[in-house]
Amino acid sequence: MTILVRRSNLVIPATQSRMVRWAWNLGADAIILDLQDGMPPSELETARDSLKPAVSMVAKGGAEVFVRVNAHSVYADAAAAMCADLTGIVVPGPESAADIAEADSILNELERHAGVARGSAEIFPSIETAAGVWRIREIITASPRIRQVIIDEAELAASLGIVQGSDPDPFVYARGRLCIEATAAGVQPIAVADPTGLGIANLGHDDLVQTATDARNLGFKGMVCSHPAWVNPVNEAHTPAESLVDYYTQVREVFAQALAAGTAAAPFAGRMIDVPVDEWAKDVLAMSAACAARDAEKQAASEMARVWQDTFGLA
Amino acid sequence: MPDHPRRLKRSGLTMPVVTERFINNAWHRGCDFINMDLEDSVPPNLKDVARNLIKESIPVVNKGGADAVCRINHDLMEADLNAVVWPGLMMVNYPKAEHAHEIRRMDEIITRLEAERGIRPGTIEIGANIETEVGVTNAYDIVSASPRIREFGGASGYDMSRDLGVEMFVQFDQFVYGKGEVELTARALGVTPHATPFTPNLTGSVSDPDRAFAEADAARRCGFRIGGGLHPNVVEPQNRGFTPTDDEVADAHWVIQQYRQLSHTGDTWLQTQDASGQPRVVDRYEAARAEELLQWRAACEERDREKNEAIARVRAAEASA
Repeated sequence: MTILVRRSNLVIPATQSRMVRWAWNLGADAIILDLQDGMPPSELETARDSLKPAVSMVAKGGAEVFVRVNAHSVYADAAAAMCADLTGIVVPGPESAADIAEADSILNELERHAGVARGSAEIFPSIETAAGVWRIREIITASPRIRQVIIDEAELAASLGIVQGSDPDPFVYARGRLCIEATAAGVQPIAVADPTGLGIANLGHDDLVQTATDARNLGFKGMVCSHPAWVNPVNEAHTPAESLVDYYTQVREVFAQALAAGTAAAPFAGRMIDVPVDEWAKDVLAMSAACAARDAEKQAASEMARVWQDTFGLA
Repeated sequence: MPDHPRRLKRSGLTMPVVTERFINNAWHRGCDFINMDLEDSVPPNLKDVARNLIKESIPVVNKGGADAVCRINHDLMEADLNAVVWPGLMMVNYPKAEHAHEIRRMDEIITRLEAERGIRPGTIEIGANIETEVGVTNAYDIVSASPRIREFGGASGYDMSRDLGVEMFVQFDQFVYGKGEVELTARALGVTPHATPFTPNLTGSVSDPDRAFAEADAARRCGFRIGGGLHPNVVEPQNRGFTPTDDEVADAHWVIQQYRQLSHTGDTWLQTQDASGQPRVVDRYEAARAEELLQWRAACEERDREKNEAIARVRAAEASA
């Protein structure tokens, strides 16, 4: 099974052309171009007009690219985004399988018109309401296009009438449900970096890495980052650290020796190593290799982009 | 299905059935049950050998009064059941339970084997262990699939952490949602929940007696009754941690006495002070809790007596031999 490495999902407002030009260089595994809610119609039109070039622009560094469409204009927004460089669309606020089925049929149609392989565009549901949390199973299993899912905690807080703060945490249940249901369905649960919108002013690199690591240890496979400063810490937290790789390499050796000696349970550093620990060790080492491959892919794309930029002055 | 007495499972040792010295020494450790493992602690090339050891190992692990349990392999369920369902076995642990149809199939096979092998119908319990996300999402259907499921739990541990893709030993409860789902399912369907509250564990030690006691004590205070571990060091602390203390028993008697006095007054609750001068409210909920505590303590004492007598009998027989 191939591992989907999509650690950092950086959000860039589609209308901010300076950020759109720079985003490819920030190291994100995925970039979400946001057609924000509440944009004046004329601005939305302008954003749609320049959306396909924007998708290609932010993809230059090897990032996968999503466009966050508006719930009330999925067709028009997705049509403006559809191109070979598009990985998928973020669908905000789905509350039922029918909401996903509609997006799915829109993408079928747009892919046909654009000559893009059918079924290639992903749907990335962004759950925003209690009904969405409750019906998460039907939502994420409604289309094979869904490979990752998120709960937009700021939107959920607003819809529940919660004044958001981190203490006490109002979303223990919702987050747990997301991780369990998504993992059971073979869909990657994605967390929100800085869900309370506190910013990063008081947080150092280690704090950001720790926050992202905690999310990983709840079962999340990546984070949506509303600020570029989150990208490197999130990538770091979701990449097995060297110490972890060393530890699990030893675990595999200890377990192999135990098997050779006729037992599948071996003590190691005060712990018991048996089949599930060895299996997890394999997973960690495979994840480490997959992250390295993804990083190499992005680096190669970025180097190519810089060559083009330097040689032909293409920005 | 006939009524079967509830068995206590405060402490238990899980061991590979192929390791003879573990099996031969387990009976005198004082645990409520002994879990003979065919699954993760047995290498693939020894699976056949292992399952054929269960029949002869049941009386060996039983002789000190512990109940015999066998953990089979998820993917070898039918072959394993054929080899392990024998008189003296209390429960088959089925790992990585994910779907109700698996449990229904097990029930059919066990029912047939009980009939063929002279075991009272319905004796053998199924322990359906939840160790994957799919298992959590199907918890209610799984427990509903057979009356042989009399305890239910999981949704934590190595397999679960692997399936969820998280490190096992962290400073917060990464399994809180799944454990909650599984516990609510158990309680809603009237089976004993098998769970533990979160206590930080960064070492992953399987032999620390203090830690075992703290976990068992915390579990009991959260309404849980089932333990189990991998190392003999944890047996006594688990028995102790899951058994109400003398002080708690005295307090329960005091609560019941206070509550009885209420019946003369027509009030439904009273506010008073307990023996240590602490303000206390006594009502029918507190009285019911006290009754349950006394019943549980009596059951623990009875179980300990049973095991002590069994161990003494074996020792006496060995001395005279």
